[in-house]
Amino acid sequence: MSKKLISLLILVVLATGLLPAVGVAAPPLQEEGEVYTVQKDDWLSKLADKQYGDVLAYPAIVYYNNLKAAEDSTFAVIENADLIEVGWTIYLPTAEEATAYLGGEVGMAAGEPGSLRVTFSWPTFIDPAVGSDFSSSTSLANIYDTLIFPNKDAGVDPWLAESWDVSDDGLTYTFNLRRGVSFHDGSELLASDVAYSFNRLQTIGEGYAYLISGVESVTAVDDYTVEFKLERPSGLFVPSLVRLYILNEDLVRQNTAAEGPYDEEGDYGKEWLLTHDAGSGPYRVVEFPLEEYLLMEKFNNWWNAATFNPNAPGQARFIATTETATVRALMDDRELEITDQWQTVEALEALDAMEGIDITAFSTMTSFYYMMNTRKPPLDDIHCRRAISWAFDYDQAVALEWPGTQQMVGPAPHTVGGHNPNVLVYERDLDKANEELAQCQYAADIQDYPVEVVWIAEVPAEEKWALLFQANMADIGVPVEVVSQPWLSVVENTSAQDTSSHIVTIYVSTDLPEAGLMIQQRYHSSTANTWQQNEWLLDPELDAEIEDALATVDQGARFAKYATLQEEIVALAPSLFLYDQLEKHAVQSYVDWKPEENSSVMGYQIYAPRIGVTAP
Amino acid sequence: MKLLAFLVRRIFLAIFVLFGLSILIFVIARILPGDPARTALGARAPQWVVDRLREEMHLNAPLHVQYGFWLRDALQGDFGISLVTRRDVADDVREFFPASIELVLLAGLITGAGGIALGTLSARHKDKWVDNVVRVLSYAGVVTPAFVFAILFLLLFGFVLDWLPTIGRLSQDVARPPTVTGLMTIDALLAGQLATFWDALKHLIMPALALAMGSMAQEARITRATMSDNLTKDYIAAERALGIPERMVMGRFLLKPSLIPTVSIFGLDFAANLSNAFLVELIFNWPGLSRYGVNAMLRKDLNAISAVILILGVTFITVNIIVDLVVGALDPRIRLRATRSD
Repeated sequence: MSKKLISLLILVVLATGLLPAVGVAAPPLQEEGEVYTVQKDDWLSKLADKQYGDVLAYPAIVYYNNLKAAEDSTFAVIENADLIEVGWTIYLPTAEEATAYLGGEVGMAAGEPGSLRVTFSWPTFIDPAVGSDFSSSTSLANIYDTLIFPNKDAGVDPWLAESWDVSDDGLTYTFNLRRGVSFHDGSELLASDVAYSFNRLQTIGEGYAYLISGVESVTAVDDYTVEFKLERPSGLFVPSLVRLYILNEDLVRQNTAAEGPYDEEGDYGKEWLLTHDAGSGPYRVVEFPLEEYLLMEKFNNWWNAATFNPNAPGQARFIATTETATVRALMDDRELEITDQWQTVEALEALDAMEGIDITAFSTMTSFYYMMNTRKPPLDDIHCRRAISWAFDYDQAVALEWPGTQQMVGPAPHTVGGHNPNVLVYERDLDKANEELAQCQYAADIQDYPVEVVWIAEVPAEEKWALLFQANMADIGVPVEVVSQPWLSVVENTSAQDTSSHIVTIYVSTDLPEAGLMIQQRYHSSTANTWQQNEWLLDPELDAEIEDALATVDQGARFAKYATLQEEIVALAPSLFLYDQLEKHAVQSYVDWKPEENSSVMGYQIYAPRIGVTAP
Repeated sequence: MKLLAFLVRRIFLAIFVLFGLSILIFVIARILPGDPARTALGARAPQWVVDRLREEMHLNAPLHVQYGFWLRDALQGDFGISLVTRRDVADDVREFFPASIELVLLAGLITGAGGIALGTLSARHKDKWVDNVVRVLSYAGVVTPAFVFAILFLLLFGFVLDWLPTIGRLSQDVARPPTVTGLMTIDALLAGQLATFWDALKHLIMPALALAMGSMAQEARITRATMSDNLTKDYIAAERALGIPERMVMGRFLLKPSLIPTVSIFGLDFAANLSNAFLVELIFNWPGLSRYGVNAMLRKDLNAISAVILILGVTFITVNIIVDLVVGALDPRIRLRATRSD
């Protein structure tokens, strides 16, 4: 009995010892702040600097002033942090209050209504010279600005660059930069930052560096003019600049470790940029615990702030999970605004049935291919490949996907620039299939040539199509073995001709809205030893044609060459072109999001400044 | 003195075990398919970038040379760079290990308290309805994987009843306490933030409970079995004949010797939970070591794999030593044997 008493006593002592701490943790709103009348030439960050020694503390003024204004109408309401009028009476919070606000203990920084929360598959790399997958690209688009901006018509609009000229030989591009663009730390974005960002990307060579290749040099002619010299003309150069994110050179240099693999550039700021940003974009990084979430907040001094959706989220939080049950519970609790795109059709249907949740589906630049190894019997005979192409049931394959999905037309997704809608489209026609099969040299003993179809073990849904394929081929007597392989094995096996299977089923996306880029990724000899091509076409003439098309600067001429290429590839029947993938997200109905009005370049769909979130 | 000798011997042996383990995992990790550098950088990265990374990681050297490099660095606490997070594996471990430990500790507490309580209850009411209910539930608990419990709890407490938060270690509107131990609840207490402590605890309950269910059921079964076994022993009859109150017989004279197998299994379960937490951590978006380790394996993140396996090895060995000490404390015969047999 006495033991119980003692433990009770201990508990009570502990509890009373801790209780006062609770009182301290509550946000204090003391009357010690300053009542201030706005003078000529005042602006909030200047006041913040004077008052707290931190130009970035101005949101604290807005927050506490508006709290005051709500109870006392002599204070003006600050609706826009960039706009205060002479003569306004405003409230300047105490230094403690400002610190509490900036530390995220109270107010907007603590995630009040108006946050946009999205789940993603991880890892996410917010270093512009490292990241290139879906979550990284989406984060980069929100944090950084680029010289040009991709629009919904597969073209580009001026962005940081107000205009640009190209020399007659197509080798020199001169960009005129917008003036007065400020980075998140308040310093101005200049031409030297562009040059630094490019050099950094090229030296590190990861992420999207491969896209912006063939540049000889980049020079800052003056603060607002930057010149790119190319090694050879390229039609992809300007479109590829959507992947050149501009970094704040001074800030990165301040945070560069001297030791690193990049000689005098040390680690090029890589370690710091892993969890920090040096951008000028509409959102800036607040906190990034790896493997958990990326928290960003709205940057009110963004140069293009006028285009913010009036209900643009104050915070954006990208959460590292795609677990069905978790996502579902979060959606139900209204703790998640947009789901990741990896939810299965079944999971989406369940979410769709929930109150206040809709499904948004839109086209991307990703397509689903059955890649046929053209070096492996019986697929080395074009007639056998054509027979398979005619025997497959595309309608049913499309019906297995989300409603609204379209069969592919030719080897490039229909969303890219230069897509040819007039190529031959295969459909299920057993007569034609048998006709072609009869001409195939293996027709007589086709039973001895089982075709192996490999689907990716990590994507169980792919088995449906593999089984459909098997059933369809049985109708023309082609034996099929369905096999699943883990992704890393597929990557390994497709890297050499003799280990490549007959058919591998893979979703491939392209990084720019250019048909030629997808064709190069899929059919140029340089990609034959990667998972992007199981066809092993190895056709030097085709290679030369692809290279020529990509080097054509004039868009009309370039697209015409793409069109021809698409016809030629269809004639070779190297792949089954199944469907262009729709990207599907479950969305809360209080979110105003129109992905179809954005570019289909990966990462620009969940573009927070154009999304409106009203409180749930 | 004897205890000290015992400890020294065990730690000496542990070093050998860890050394062997490191060689084994080093080789096995490299047999997995795929070039780790290419996997990390993607199909579109130029070859020279891949080559540079291979060079940095010494991947072109023969296996024993690679191991030499690794061992040299590891002895200095440098486990190389993770390909998944792109930072030092040591940093990753510092961040993810405490999260897992916090989870496993609470799960251990639930396992121990719940398992022994249920087992005792069951043994005391042997073959009555209480016993039957506990036994059926124990079987269900043993055969059901932790992730099923995780999803069930998530749907029940997070979705239908909406009592507990579903993801992460803290709510979105709660600031993190300053990191001291890395255990969110302890750090919150150290900083005197009771509200934060409560929030962290609420986040911890579901995953810990899901993780604990299986081992708790196992403990309950074993405690019950040994206790009902010992109930028929002569000394119990003697104690009862002496008129010692039943509560004292059960709680004092019967429970202590009966706990030996329970404690042994508890130790194994505790360490196993650390590595088995993968799906639970995934479902609750818990940034733990187990999730990190499995992601590392899927991406062939060699350095991270080695570090995680080594940590699991160290944990297993440490827990085993502790278990041996506890068992020795419970039963002097075992203590004597352990110290004498060398």
